[in-house]
Amino acid sequence: MNESLRMVVVLSVIAMISAGILAQVYGITSVIIEENQARALESSVFEVLPGTTQVNIIRRSADELGVDDTKEMREKEQKTSLIYQGVNDAGQVLGYAFVGEGNGYGGTVRVLVGVDEKSNQILNLKVLEHTETPGLGSKIEDEGFRKQFVGKKVEDPIKLGQDIDSISGATVSSRAVTEAVRQGFDDTTAVYKGGK
Amino acid sequence: MASLWKDFVRGLWDENPTFRLMIGLCPTLAVTTSAINGMSMGLATAFVLVCSSALISLLKNLIPDKVRIPAYIIVIATFVTIVDLYMNAFLPNLHQVLGLFIPLIVVNCIVLGRAEAFASKNTVIASAFDGLGMGLGFTWALTLIGSVREILGAGSIFGYRLLPEGATTLGIMSLPPGGFITLGILIAVMNMIAARQKAS
Repeated sequence: MNESLRMVVVLSVIAMISAGILAQVYGITSVIIEENQARALESSVFEVLPGTTQVNIIRRSADELGVDDTKEMREKEQKTSLIYQGVNDAGQVLGYAFVGEGNGYGGTVRVLVGVDEKSNQILNLKVLEHTETPGLGSKIEDEGFRKQFVGKKVEDPIKLGQDIDSISGATVSSRAVTEAVRQGFDDTTAVYKGGK
Repeated sequence: MASLWKDFVRGLWDENPTFRLMIGLCPTLAVTTSAINGMSMGLATAFVLVCSSALISLLKNLIPDKVRIPAYIIVIATFVTIVDLYMNAFLPNLHQVLGLFIPLIVVNCIVLGRAEAFASKNTVIASAFDGLGMGLGFTWALTLIGSVREILGAGSIFGYRLLPEGATTLGIMSLPPGGFITLGILIAVMNMIAARQKAS
């Protein structure tokens, strides 16, 4: 066989076998990974809404999310369509939490934001998932950055450079979090408060 | 049998990847903030090393010389992704800490280095033993660095508290400079031991 043809064939075969194996492994593990994430998300709600002992899940409809396409809806539904209402032992609604998404430097950044029921201020923020650069972008998890969002209301700008300071060396990651909060806050307030 | 044993122990001491060859230092410095992190990273790398070395050795006559590097990288990347997915599924807490560094095993020079220097010239079994030795050599080195940094930086070891709560610890040891300091001192100690061995 011609040498260059052989190179192409061998590399292609190796790549195909590799893809096949990975597809199998992904099929097995993705189910478990999703379950883990769902469980982790629920326990995170307790963190961003202090005092919560029970979580009610409110589902948003396609209409409220502003998407028609069913596939898009399904994708969004898994990630950002749910509002988590935190209730304490006495049955009192303490607040609600939502998931926001932004585009970071290394992929999607997902944050969970807890909002106080009465004051409508952000109580806490938790970065659920990110693939930012370790040591730079991963600082979005740090307390110092996250606490800038605490106390913000939906009327506040919540914009990088205005009321949120960027982490030096990690502007894109900082913006991803800020946009995730902004977007999620708008969407959720419209539905949750508007629907009352 | 004797030569297999030699292939195995070489990575543990004489050609220890961290302390002797000084390759794969990026994950070494980055993840060794605690003993358990170092050990897990080492074991994940060891698994990838054994599998990829064995497979590359098996394929060495099939892979044309000119495309051997991309072929090796595909093989290595496949094993790394498998480790990543399984760790995410079954050890989610560990994956939270190490997740960002696992994909970096692909470009860890130990893995490609052993494929190029050893597996592409030796038998499957010898390559597996070489990979195991190198992997475990990397593991003990990372565990040692992680232990030193955890004891000094956090006052605990493998998560068990040694010093009472609130005791003064050297916070810098948990930070990147601590990684460099620990690595430097350990290499010096290793050199001292090796020099003594030689002299006697």
